[in-house]
Amino acid sequence: MIAQLSIATGFLLILIGLYGALIQRNILRMIVAFTVADTGVNIVIVAVGFMAGRTAPILDAAVPVADAAARIIDPLPQALVLTAIVIGLGTTALMLAYAFKLYEKRRTLDIDKFTDLRG
Amino acid sequence: MVKRFLALLLLAGLGGIFASLLAGYIPDAELNLTARYYADHAAGDLGAANIVTAIIVTYRGLDTLGEVTVLFLAASIVGLVLTHRQKHDPRPGQPARTRAPVGELLTTGTRFLVPLILLLGVYVFMNGHLTPGGGFQGGAIIASGILLLLLADPLKHFSHGLISAVESLAGLFYILLGLVGLVLAGGFLDNRILPAGELGALISAGAIPLIYSLIGLKVGAEFSSMLASLSETEEL
Amino acid sequence: MTSPLYIIAVALAAAFLLGLLREQWRSLAYPVTLAALAFMSWLSASWLWALASGSASPVDIYTAGTAPPFAINLRMALPEAVLTLLINLTGLFSALYLKSALLARGRRGMAVLLVAIMALSGIVLTRDIFNLFVFLELVVIATGGLVLLSDHAHALSAGFKYLVVSQVISILLLIGIIFAYHATGTLNIDGMAEAVPGLQNAGASQAFELAFFLMFIALVAELKPFPANGWALDIYEAAHPAFSAIFSAGAGTAALYAVDKLLLIGGPAWLDMATGVGIVTFVAGNLLALPQSNDRRLLGYSSVAQIGLILAVLGQRDILGEDTYFIAGGLLLSHAVAKAGLFWLSGLLAGRQLVDWADLRERPMPVFAFVTFAAMLSGLPPFPGFYAKWELVHHLAGSGRLVLLALVLFGALIEAGYLFRWFGYILKREPPGEADFCRVIFDKPHRVLPVMVAVAAGWALAFVWGELASSLLGRSNLLLALPLLFALSFLLLDWLPAWVKNSLAIAGLVAFFAATWTDYDALRMIFAIIFTLGGALTLLASYHVHGRRVGFYPAAMLMFAGMVMLIRADTSFDFFAAWELLTVGSYFLILRGKHSEPHALSYILFSLGGAFLIMAGFAIAAQGAPQFALASLAHVAAPFAPWVFLLLAIGFMTKTAAIGLHIWLPGAHAEAETDVSPMVSGILLKAGLYGLMVLLLAMGKQQLYGIELTHVLLWVAALTALLGNLMAVFQEDAKRLLAYSSIGQMGYALFGLALMNHLGWLMALVFVINHYIYKAMLFLAVGGVAKRTGTREMYRMGGLIRLMPLSFIAVLVGIIAVSGVPPLSGFGGRWVFYNAILASDYRLPMVVLFLAGPIAFLYLFRLIYTIFLGQLKDELRRVKEAPFWIVLPQMIYVALLIAFAVVPGLALHRVDTYLNQFFPEGGLSWAGGEITSNYGYWNPVAIMIIVGVIFCTVFAWLLFVNRRAQPVKQFNIVFSAERPFRPETTHFAWNFFAPYRKALGFLTQPLVTIFWTTVTDLLHTAGDLGRRLYNGNGQTYAFHFLAFVVIVFFLVGL
Repeated sequence: MIAQLSIATGFLLILIGLYGALIQRNILRMIVAFTVADTGVNIVIVAVGFMAGRTAPILDAAVPVADAAARIIDPLPQALVLTAIVIGLGTTALMLAYAFKLYEKRRTLDIDKFTDLRG
Repeated sequence: MVKRFLALLLLAGLGGIFASLLAGYIPDAELNLTARYYADHAAGDLGAANIVTAIIVTYRGLDTLGEVTVLFLAASIVGLVLTHRQKHDPRPGQPARTRAPVGELLTTGTRFLVPLILLLGVYVFMNGHLTPGGGFQGGAIIASGILLLLLADPLKHFSHGLISAVESLAGLFYILLGLVGLVLAGGFLDNRILPAGELGALISAGAIPLIYSLIGLKVGAEFSSMLASLSETEEL
Repeated sequence: MTSPLYIIAVALAAAFLLGLLREQWRSLAYPVTLAALAFMSWLSASWLWALASGSASPVDIYTAGTAPPFAINLRMALPEAVLTLLINLTGLFSALYLKSALLARGRRGMAVLLVAIMALSGIVLTRDIFNLFVFLELVVIATGGLVLLSDHAHALSAGFKYLVVSQVISILLLIGIIFAYHATGTLNIDGMAEAVPGLQNAGASQAFELAFFLMFIALVAELKPFPANGWALDIYEAAHPAFSAIFSAGAGTAALYAVDKLLLIGGPAWLDMATGVGIVTFVAGNLLALPQSNDRRLLGYSSVAQIGLILAVLGQRDILGEDTYFIAGGLLLSHAVAKAGLFWLSGLLAGRQLVDWADLRERPMPVFAFVTFAAMLSGLPPFPGFYAKWELVHHLAGSGRLVLLALVLFGALIEAGYLFRWFGYILKREPPGEADFCRVIFDKPHRVLPVMVAVAAGWALAFVWGELASSLLGRSNLLLALPLLFALSFLLLDWLPAWVKNSLAIAGLVAFFAATWTDYDALRMIFAIIFTLGGALTLLASYHVHGRRVGFYPAAMLMFAGMVMLIRADTSFDFFAAWELLTVGSYFLILRGKHSEPHALSYILFSLGGAFLIMAGFAIAAQGAPQFALASLAHVAAPFAPWVFLLLAIGFMTKTAAIGLHIWLPGAHAEAETDVSPMVSGILLKAGLYGLMVLLLAMGKQQLYGIELTHVLLWVAALTALLGNLMAVFQEDAKRLLAYSSIGQMGYALFGLALMNHLGWLMALVFVINHYIYKAMLFLAVGGVAKRTGTREMYRMGGLIRLMPLSFIAVLVGIIAVSGVPPLSGFGGRWVFYNAILASDYRLPMVVLFLAGPIAFLYLFRLIYTIFLGQLKDELRRVKEAPFWIVLPQMIYVALLIAFAVVPGLALHRVDTYLNQFFPEGGLSWAGGEITSNYGYWNPVAIMIIVGVIFCTVFAWLLFVNRRAQPVKQFNIVFSAERPFRPETTHFAWNFFAPYRKALGFLTQPLVTIFWTTVTDLLHTAGDLGRRLYNGNGQTYAFHFLAFVVIVFFLVGL
């Protein structure tokens, strides 16, 4: 139940983010929309690995080594999402740098104004 | 108007695909093949109590190397793109730049908090193999401290040379450790070049703490570099 | 062997190391970068060598000391070695090329470049899907960074559009990956592939399909499919050319291999989608390239199209089987090397319009580089694309996928079209600026070196692919064929003076004939003599040119090499390769004429179109058999045989310029140089006839939907003869007249072949010999006159009989021979022809043909009258006879004509006997000097004597009667009480046949020209319409991508 709900939330966020990216004309708002969508993707990734009634994949006094396989959730999506978050951050930083340079050049942040190359 | 309608239509289509994915999703009852292997072997083979760390640093270490490189690239490009404005040097003919003070609360709070934040960051990445956290998380925390410093004093100048030296050295050592793993142990980025030690101790899990610390420093340096570059673009 | 991991490790170590160096040490950073890239290339090369020679076997490299799927692994096998070598070398040479840009931007730029190359190699090597995603994101970010190295004003917006759509792609890819992981429990590609068939219940299988769809469509999007590719095209245009080279060659390669890996997981169900997306992209990309005028944007569209083709090839894996990598690899390597080379070449030029490339005009080396690259992209022999295309077409035909086959050939023809149009601009337009190209080369050697390396790589690949084809598939390695090597050697010898090369060429042709004349049967012997000895004879005229004549001899010898290889070919592959070689060689020859740019383009398009039809015909005939001997054409199965016949016949008829396919010939032959016209008109057209002979001998009569195809051929031939001759009548330009005459004559020859009886074929062969001799002679004569008078318009000449007597004799003998008046050989041909017609059943086409005869006489008379008789113009009073070397071959031809008239049996007897095996009835009997047929007899010697006696008698009587004639000046005349004083008003020459034009002119309406012009206009319009899709707005491109995803989703029907 929790997993499906989270996944649905994640999908919703993705759709909202993509909608914003498609509709917004201001570049900075597009970037924010992409950030929302990225967050949605990350939620989906983590949620897919969730298993009801189990705990975090850390072996300590609460979860001894012998019980690990029966007590922990899938650790792999958590590793994947870490990478995904970082990559999302990298692209966001890059897009922001581009936004700055574009503004510096054209004094506008309207994406409809950057149609110089066409055809 | 048409644009909105089209966007809604397309996203409805995409939403349909997502809905089918969701409908077909059945949560696992048992750990699947790969997860089970990790659950069974991470502690024994690698000596790491935090299985996620074991995966990130060792099992899927190549991914992490790639991820670190992503940050390196992003920081390099951001630095390349945004010219360094010498904001603390006054331009000829203009009075020296001043700024309205940011407020006693922020300044004092910063002075109090930043060391604590940095300490937390170091703690997080050093204990990555034992508790939730690790290099990326720790590096992000360190960078948030730097951000606080920047907010408190926007004209603060960070030495890009120092940052990039830390970044590069950390990266080089990371690769060297990986290659040492190739030569001395089972493969590239194998952590068993150092003894696995006792499960749960600070010095354990082979080279994992070392690698994660390097990652933490590198990530912190890179985030700081990006923040500094972006901050320097501000025209006062 | 050094572990391939070092490719990644060394690149990253170098990138991080660069960060340690201070800003001021950037001149040290650059060699470090180059050294790292060189090491990576060396590593890939050593693995390639080891794997290819068998001293190493494919290896999986584990990381973290753990076996997959629990850790990431890499693989190094033959494809990975080749592709990583390609990527690393492109990176190395682009880094060299980027020297100034990198030094300006500093060590950070170099680090980004290193990481980009490393990530591309990583995509190729990895066997883990999430690892693939990470490397892909690295490439995306690095691209975003490297785009900024450009000085182009619009690089920024191009890069931003790229990043926007890349974000959407990575979102879909991640969702796909995580759900695929959930369904199969592993992230390892091979592991996933194994797990997929085992997905038991329908629900899990369906869930996996959806997840796979998302992953697949995201990776396919990285290939820039149509129409979701606007976001990347701007990068090709705006980025630094060296980066565009990496983008096209490197990123395209890596993305293709990634899709291939994914197809491994998904299985055969997804091949159709790959094929569909691929072929649409190929055709659309090439159509959209047509109206482009910016060189880099055109290269961008072409890259997109080529990658689409390779995607379609990957999608045809089910029928291609083991040959998949041979075909895909051939196409991919051709594309990568050629595109990288062209982008690098573009960086040497200042202007960005296609016509600005005319700067290269006088420089042989860059022109040669461009030719190599264009030939590689068009799939011309001997380059890998040729072998690849041949195999692809054969597999497609063998499996009945004819629509796909047609689309592939259609797209390829369009691509050849715009590439050759561009080449025409380079050679024929005026160079735009004052930029001194020489200075460019010497100032920037680091930019020239990569281009040269690309050229060398192209030729090396041609050899390698030929070797692969011969060892794996039993084809022949074209680069080992002696005639071709002889032709290519002229490239190296081009610095010698023209007369040396001419002598070498003549010697080569004669020696080749002498060495191989025993190999030919009687039929092929005629063609062999014409192609080699006849070629040597026409080359005598080339002695009249002084200087070095750069580029003439390689082209001419290439054409001759092709012709020689054509008659020696036994298999369809050798035949077709020779056909394309002679087409290419003749194209370069024709292009040399001063005003021949549009005509040469028309010629190459028709020729390549015909060649593709021939290839399709051979492929359908072969039905998947690996080798196809030409003789097996006789055994093609029933439902295919008439179609094969049709395709091959139309293909050959484009070369003989049958009506409907003839519009290229007049311009091409008329505008060609003086000594080229005899070659192409006299010799080259025979190649088409040879093809038709082979076809008809093997396949005989064929029926299609109840229509007898040879009957159709008869009609086509008759119409060609009639209309060709009629159009010749109304020409003012002497060479155009002769060109149209060639069309008509080819119609006659075709008619003889289509009669499918003994005498018809004999007549066709008589025509082949006769036409060669008199057409070459006439073209040389007219060319000589044109040289001396400075014009080709006949009405400007006149009265030249006194000043150019030898040319006059040549033309006189020529027109007697052509018109079929006794005693010369044309009469013999006519006689055989009438016998042949009497022996056949067809009446109506015959009538049409008979009409053509007197019409031919009209233009022949005009030729001699308007040039040599009539009134001498003032400006021509001092012309001399044509140059010695042009007159000499003409005199030899005169002697040959007379000899052939007296002793026709020299050539024909053996052929007559040879034809008995195909057409046993209706042969001639040769007894002494007399030749007898079923209907009558012919004695050439007697005719010659009779005509000679009559001529001498009349001539002597004329001399006697006029012995006291008083010579008068030219204008010592009065008529209608006027005293004309200007030659123009007394020489009736312009619009000579005005009454005939009024009567029959309606037959010469340029319907065919209008038809073909409409076709090209339609294609251009389609291209223009497609261009509107790319309105330049990044958000719109994101819309395109999402629409693409949704539409493909519904088409695939999940």
